[in-house]
Amino acid sequence: MDRIECQWCKAQNEPERTSCTTCGAPLDKRNLVSDSGWTEAPRLRDMTEFRFSNSTCQIEGEIVPVAELALSPGDSVFFEHHVMLWKEPQVPMSAMNTGGGARRMFGGMPHILSVAHGPGRIALSRDATGEVVVLPIHPSHEIDVREHAFLAGTHSLTYSFVRIKGLANVLHGGSGMYMDRFVTGGEQGLLLLHGYGNVFQKTLKPGEKILIEPGGFLYKDSSVDMQTAQQRFKTGMLGSHNMYLAEMTGPGRVGIQSMYVHHGSE
Amino acid sequence: MTTPTASYTCPYCRIPSEGDATTCPHCGAPVDVRERVSKSGWAEQPPIRDMARIRFNRSTCQISGSYVPVAEMRLDPQDAVYFSHHVLLHMDPSIQLESMRMAGGWNRVLAGMPLFMMTARGPGYIAISADHPGETLAVPLPPNHAIDVAEHRFLVATANVAYHWEPSGIWYTTQNGDEQEWHYPLGQVMDRFTAQGGPGLLLLHAQGNTFIRDLRPNERILVQPGGLIWKDRSVRMFLHFEYPHGQYWFSSARWQAKSIWLTLQGPGRVAVQSVFEPPEMAGSIRSSSGSTTQYW
Repeated sequence: MDRIECQWCKAQNEPERTSCTTCGAPLDKRNLVSDSGWTEAPRLRDMTEFRFSNSTCQIEGEIVPVAELALSPGDSVFFEHHVMLWKEPQVPMSAMNTGGGARRMFGGMPHILSVAHGPGRIALSRDATGEVVVLPIHPSHEIDVREHAFLAGTHSLTYSFVRIKGLANVLHGGSGMYMDRFVTGGEQGLLLLHGYGNVFQKTLKPGEKILIEPGGFLYKDSSVDMQTAQQRFKTGMLGSHNMYLAEMTGPGRVGIQSMYVHHGSE
Repeated sequence: MTTPTASYTCPYCRIPSEGDATTCPHCGAPVDVRERVSKSGWAEQPPIRDMARIRFNRSTCQISGSYVPVAEMRLDPQDAVYFSHHVLLHMDPSIQLESMRMAGGWNRVLAGMPLFMMTARGPGYIAISADHPGETLAVPLPPNHAIDVAEHRFLVATANVAYHWEPSGIWYTTQNGDEQEWHYPLGQVMDRFTAQGGPGLLLLHAQGNTFIRDLRPNERILVQPGGLIWKDRSVRMFLHFEYPHGQYWFSSARWQAKSIWLTLQGPGRVAVQSVFEPPEMAGSIRSSSGSTTQYW
């Protein structure tokens, strides 16, 4: 019997499964795609479970979802310490130094990330209505994520951070100074993000452009170029008003969130 | 031979349509759900289904998402919409943006309202979303029909909907030491939208769930001022203060235990949301706009 391909992460699944073993997306529902080509991130059913390495992740709740991880020995995940909701007492913890010292401090980013090792259970959640977005990262792939948006990354991901290029992008881009960058080596990794509100993804063709409110940016493949596009408007006697949008140029995926932090264009 | 389709009148926007789709083409409300009306007469406005489409002029609007819905508009070259600039989520490079000047600039700044709005002209896609969990409400406006909308609820409107703003006329003052404090439980201004030259479409954002009610002439209902979304122009409104009898002087009505309501008086339709900020409670009320009072 034919296996079922997950429309979100393209993983192959057993025919009897109703949710993807790799990302938890429902397999018995079609992707919701808007007329302009934005795909809605799959709404993970309450208590959906999926696997990574030898461990499992279960998504609980729908308004502010919790990712509960059952870590096997040898597996670990890293995260910003304030997203930890609860953990079993025996779960071994360690710290990952992110490097970047003062630059991280000026950028409002944590200096260390917490690492939880198996065996044991740990649960993570952020602090506002939204969706957990599960992104299995294929080997030798890079993805850039808005700061403070990632919930957890698995041990097979290498974490770094990249400064958003250009002073105008930093000052007016509305996405902060840095983006988190996650890179896989030879093994597949799993990245959990929290998107505020609803999350949508679009795959841009080479050279295809889209303008995005910077506060709505969530993630992008590192192949997608991000620049700040200035829009200038005359406002009569009071002069003019500048509005800054993020111009994304393909090829690659772009993810946005519908409830956004609006700054940088006031 | 084709069978004529039965005419359907949407109970939420009151506009007839063929009724052969699963959602109303004018406001996006599902047509295959039973109207849910509470025993007191409030009808729950059903959320617009994910990916439902609404038609306006030569363009369409598609609502996607459910926590913080996105209104994605495919604009025809001859159509335009306007919105406050901070609700823009994404757009095609082919969309032409212009600023729309607002009258009464300084007063708007003082009232915390956006100084100007953006006009987007097709062709292309443009998407708008608010920044709070809730529902997107589509309010189709018949020609020359006007509604009053509480401030900060407005999302986007078609270009033929005229926009004005007026003082809400709902206020009270309290005394704090030597200082007199002014309070505007409904906000300082209300937005007025009027469809001109043809039907218009107005999209609003409501926090929480939305309930609508048609008030009969002189029928009154008390609502939390912060819960009002919109009302027909024919609906009158004024404040109502309630003072329960406290056991001690410091728990008495003048200080702690008072309720500040907004009275809505028909005829006309009103819409409220389930998330609201209660009015500020600070000392005794010295003066107010037109109001009624009750001690109990």
